[in-house]
This record gives sequence, structure tokens and C-alpha cells, in this order.
Amino acid sequence: MADPFVIETVDLRKRYDGVEALQGLNLQVPAGSIFGFLGRNGAGKTTTMKILLGMTRPTSGRARVFGLTPGSSGEGVDIRRRAAFVSEDKSLYDSMDVAAMVRFTASLFPRWRADLERQYLRAFELPPNASIKTLSRGMRTKLALLLALCRGADLLILDEPTSGLDPAVTEQVLQALVAHVADAPATVFFSSHQIADVDQIADHVAIIDRGRTAVSGALDDLRRDYRRIQLVFDDTAPEAVFTAPGVTHVRRSGRVLTLLSTAGAGQVVEQARALAPASIDVCPVSLKEIFLETVNAEE
Amino acid sequence: MFWYKSWLDTRWRFLAAFVVLTCSAVLTVLAYPKVVMLLPLVPLEASIQGGEIGRRIREIAELERTYRGYIWVQAFRQNLTQMGVLFAVLLGTGGLLPSGSKDTALFTMSLPASRPELLGARVATGLGQLAVLAFAPALVFPLLSPAVGETFTLGSALVHGACLFVTWTVFFSLALLLSTVVSGVWVPALIALCAALVLAAVDQLAGGLSRFSIFAIMSGETYFRTGALPWAGLLASGAAAAGMLSAGSWNFARQDF
Amino acid sequence: MLLLRPNPSSGVPIYLQLVEQVKHAIDTGAIRPGEQLPGIRPLAEELVINPNTVARAYRELEHDGVIELRHGAGAFVSAHAGAKRLTDRLRAGQATVAAAVERLRARGITDAEIRRLFEAELAGLTRAGGHRG
Repeated sequence: MADPFVIETVDLRKRYDGVEALQGLNLQVPAGSIFGFLGRNGAGKTTTMKILLGMTRPTSGRARVFGLTPGSSGEGVDIRRRAAFVSEDKSLYDSMDVAAMVRFTASLFPRWRADLERQYLRAFELPPNASIKTLSRGMRTKLALLLALCRGADLLILDEPTSGLDPAVTEQVLQALVAHVADAPATVFFSSHQIADVDQIADHVAIIDRGRTAVSGALDDLRRDYRRIQLVFDDTAPEAVFTAPGVTHVRRSGRVLTLLSTAGAGQVVEQARALAPASIDVCPVSLKEIFLETVNAEE
Repeated sequence: MFWYKSWLDTRWRFLAAFVVLTCSAVLTVLAYPKVVMLLPLVPLEASIQGGEIGRRIREIAELERTYRGYIWVQAFRQNLTQMGVLFAVLLGTGGLLPSGSKDTALFTMSLPASRPELLGARVATGLGQLAVLAFAPALVFPLLSPAVGETFTLGSALVHGACLFVTWTVFFSLALLLSTVVSGVWVPALIALCAALVLAAVDQLAGGLSRFSIFAIMSGETYFRTGALPWAGLLASGAAAAGMLSAGSWNFARQDF
Repeated sequence: MLLLRPNPSSGVPIYLQLVEQVKHAIDTGAIRPGEQLPGIRPLAEELVINPNTVARAYRELEHDGVIELRHGAGAFVSAHAGAKRLTDRLRAGQATVAAAVERLRARGITDAEIRRLFEAELAGLTRAGGHRG
């Protein structure tokens, strides 16, 4: 399989009852990566995942998983043989107990890993005879994750896997994901509001805003390239135009001029010196700040 | 495995239906001795009660003079027909979604099965359940009638069972089709039941045309009165059910989850 | 050898934090030349970070000549990595930094400001005249 991208979308659009959920989404998820998908509520993350798995048909545009088309009936089944999905509400069959749920799922996947099943049942402390109705959110999450991990999936698509979980369970979940990627050549594509989790395990991220990709790339590159630069002047900050590429969010407040650069600090600092500020501070920008600046930007 | 899942989703509805329908058949048989005692008390003269209602009372009393007629009127024309339609609708409603909510279907929809496969399992389970629900009470009659000193032929039971089954699938399919158009469990059921009521009302008002009504096929009226099987009606019902299931399958294949 | 959990939100890439930690551990003698480093998978699992990140850190360290990646056997500290004079230089450097921080704190400068002064200095700003005083 020469395709470097496990997931690829080109100008993906989806309209539901007059609501434009996706307005031209472009996404490329490299094989073997842990890909964090960030966005506000209603930005289109869940819709994207449903399209990738063939649960929903796009209005226009292209989506490919493993190079296959999810919308086609036959290829859709092929995709779902190799990809696992955990929905945001971790929905499972309430009428079954844990053991029945595992047996049911295992029967559908010939590559089911019974050894991982035993390992995770023990590690996650899932009681086999407990009815799924009675499980707490954390237990349901762990069970849903077990069902996803044991089927030998090449791709895990997870919608908010750690939402509503206490830090201990969160760590268990993240650890299981990291172990899964280390073991097999698997890819994890997950959406999250817990930016700290994304910071911790993701190597690529994309920020979706209003149905479009606003930011995308390797997380280390974003950490290297995003800089906040603050200039303090003796008198009122001048009205200056910065022509360096990647300068956004120039803010003026009294004697202070702040700007965000998405392409490193070098050129900006050079231009800034021409204004003769009293001080120049260059600070790294956290992923949370990148997210907030991106989604709060006015068009 | 999807057959098993469909069974789990519908088992309580099925079991309730099974108990109710079978008990109804049993009670109908066991009540016969009392009916025999009460029948002579119904006057047959035309002058006693006029109009449509009077005519019907006299008709029923006339039919129930024989055991076979009694069973036909009470069970096949009335109880099993009315309750059967209700249960057929309840079995078909909700489609693949036991709780009616699309969110809980996401796990199923993420599994490596095609939509026809998923719906096919549901339909197959439903049809199997309907067959049991149709033939079990029907078979009560040949088995239990000797207990009240009467006989009921196995052949009649099988024919009536078949008539119930085929016509019930029409309502099952209607409920299933509606479930692919309207979300929820109760709304499709209500719409299907309203449709049944409308058909029944038309049936009552049409009078002479009621031979062609689905309820006449369901009760096996032609077979009861003349011994001839209602082939045309059964075929038409089967075709209608198949048509609705196809439409439902087509809808389901195109739904967004 | 114990590696500390990197801080994902610090703005410094995680792989760089790992690289620095390993170099620091070698320089202080916590891990000696020839000793084996943890495998990528176990380390990623233990620190709960991306295995690709660990792999990148190890590649970086190998590129710097600090460790050797032996095919099939794992990662080992290079023989010449822990030169004693490097350790001594670092110890001296540590003392200088400690003294400077003391003096700055004595002047009432907060730790956050101290950190910014160091960052700016390292970015080469003060020497070029961007900062007065």
C-alpha cells in the first residue's frame, strides 16, 4: 500500500437541512500517526468521521480511507473491516452484558486478538457479567476502546475519547492508544476538546473551524513556527504594518503591540527593530492558544 | 450474529405477542361450552332489532351455531386479526433502532456489514416471528378442540395460519417502511395503526366490496365460506409486503446516520 | 534509568525535551556510556507519549553522536558521549546560572521575568540593541 495518507478528503462538503456542516474540508492523515482533530462544538468533526465510515453521504467533494471510497457499499464494508469507530456517547448495546458484547464484536472480525482481549479486560477491570446499562461512562469508554483495539484495526477513529473521564482513566485510555500505535502500524484519528491530551500524544493536528480546515500540520512544526511577539514602546505604539508572511492578530493597546506569527519570529523581529521599541519579547505559543486564536479569528 | 441481535431487540415484543395470541386462542376454545348455553337466548326474528347492527348480531349468532363458525367469528375474524395487526406493527416499528434513537445505531453502522445485510437480518427475524405468531394460535384449535368435545381440522388451521401470516407481513412491512422515513419507535407504529384503522373503517362502510379487503383475506373468509383459498388476495398481500420492504431497504441504504 | 514526564504544553517540542533529558542524564553520569536506553515502545507507554516522538528523539540523539541505535538490539549510549570535561563544564555552568538567578531575584525580578530575559538573550535580541537597560 503505497498511499502515505490513511485518510484524505478534498473539498468535502455536507449540508443537512439547510445547515452547512462542512464547507470544503481538506484533510490528510499520514499513516502511522496519532492525529488530533480540534474544533469547536458543531464545527463538523463528528460529521467528518461519519462520512469517513460511510454512515453519512457527503453532499460533494471527495473522501478516501485506505484509498477506498466510504460511500460505495462494497468499499464501505472493506473500510469498516479495517477501521474502528468509537462514538462520542460510546453507544453500545444496552441489552447485552460485557461478555456478550465482546463475543458479538469478536464474531465479526477474523483477526480478533484474544490475547489483547484478556489483557484489556484485566487492565480495564471490566466485569464480564455486568450489564452495559449499568456501566459508568468511564467503563463504557474502556469497553468501547477494547472492542476497537482487539479487532486488529489499522485505523482508529475516536470521537472525544476522553471526554467526561477522570484523569486516571484518561491516562489509561491514552496509554492504550500509544501502545496500539507502537505495536502495529496503526493510525489514530481522534477529536478532542482536551487540548492537553492532544499535546501529549498527537504528532499531527488539524483545527476545523466552521466546516473548513483552518490549521493543519505536524504538531512539532506548529510548536516551532508559532510565536507571539510583544513590543513595548516608550510612547504610544505606532500604527505599523508587518509584511512578514504569517503575521496575524496584530493588537495595539496603549504602549504595547502584540502580534502572532505562524512562520517563526526571525523576519518579524527584524521588521520590528525598525520601529525602535523599548523591548521585544518572543514567546512560544501553546496549542490551546493556537486553537483559540484560530477559531476566534474574524473572517 | 445480526439475527441474534435482531432477536434481542424484539424478543419482549415477540414474547408478549405470543402469550397474548396463544392465550386468546385457548380461551376462545374453552369458552365454547358457555357460548353454546347462551346462544339459544339470542332471538332470531327480524323484528327484534332493526338496522345494520341487528343484522350483524343475527349473522354472528347464525354463524356461531357451528363450532367451526364460532371459531372463525371469534378468533380469525376478530381477536387474532385485531391483535395480530397490532403486534405485526409493533414488531416492524423502529427498524434497526431498538430505542428509536439514531445515536445508538452508530455502533451497528460502524460494523463491517452492508446495509442490505443489516436490514435483511431484521426482516428475516421479523418474518420468522410473525410465522410463529400466526401458526401457534392457529394450531391451538386442532389440538385443544377435543377438550370441549369438538374437532377442528389441521388443514383449516394451516390455511388460516397462512392467511394470517401473509396479511400480517403487510402491516409489518408498512411499519418497517415508515421507520425508514420517520424517526422514532412510536410514531411509525401510530401511523401504521392509523392506516389499519382507516382500512378497517373503509371495510365496514364499503359493505359489498369487503370481500377484497385485507381483513377478509386475513380471516380467510373465502376459505371459511366456500373452501376456496384466497390465492389472489394472498398474492396481492405478499406483493404489497415485498414492495414495501424493497422501498424500505432502498430508503435505508440512502439514510444518513 | 528514570526519564521524567515531558511537559507537552511548555512550547518546547516533546522530542527536544527528551533529547535534553537524555543528554543531561549522560552529562551528570546518571546513565553511563555503553548502557542501554529503554526501547521505544516501552518508553512511549511509560511516559504516555507518541512512539513517533520517542523515535524522533532517538534519531536526533544518534545524529548528535550521543547514542547508537543497534539494529534489533536497541539504543545504547555511545562510548565517547560522557566526556568528563563536559560534565565539569556543565557543573560550572550550573553554578553560574544559579548565581545569576540569585542576583536577579535579589533585585526583585520575578522568575517569569527572569525566564523571559534568558529567552530573549538566547534569541540574540539584547546584543542587537532591541532592549534598553
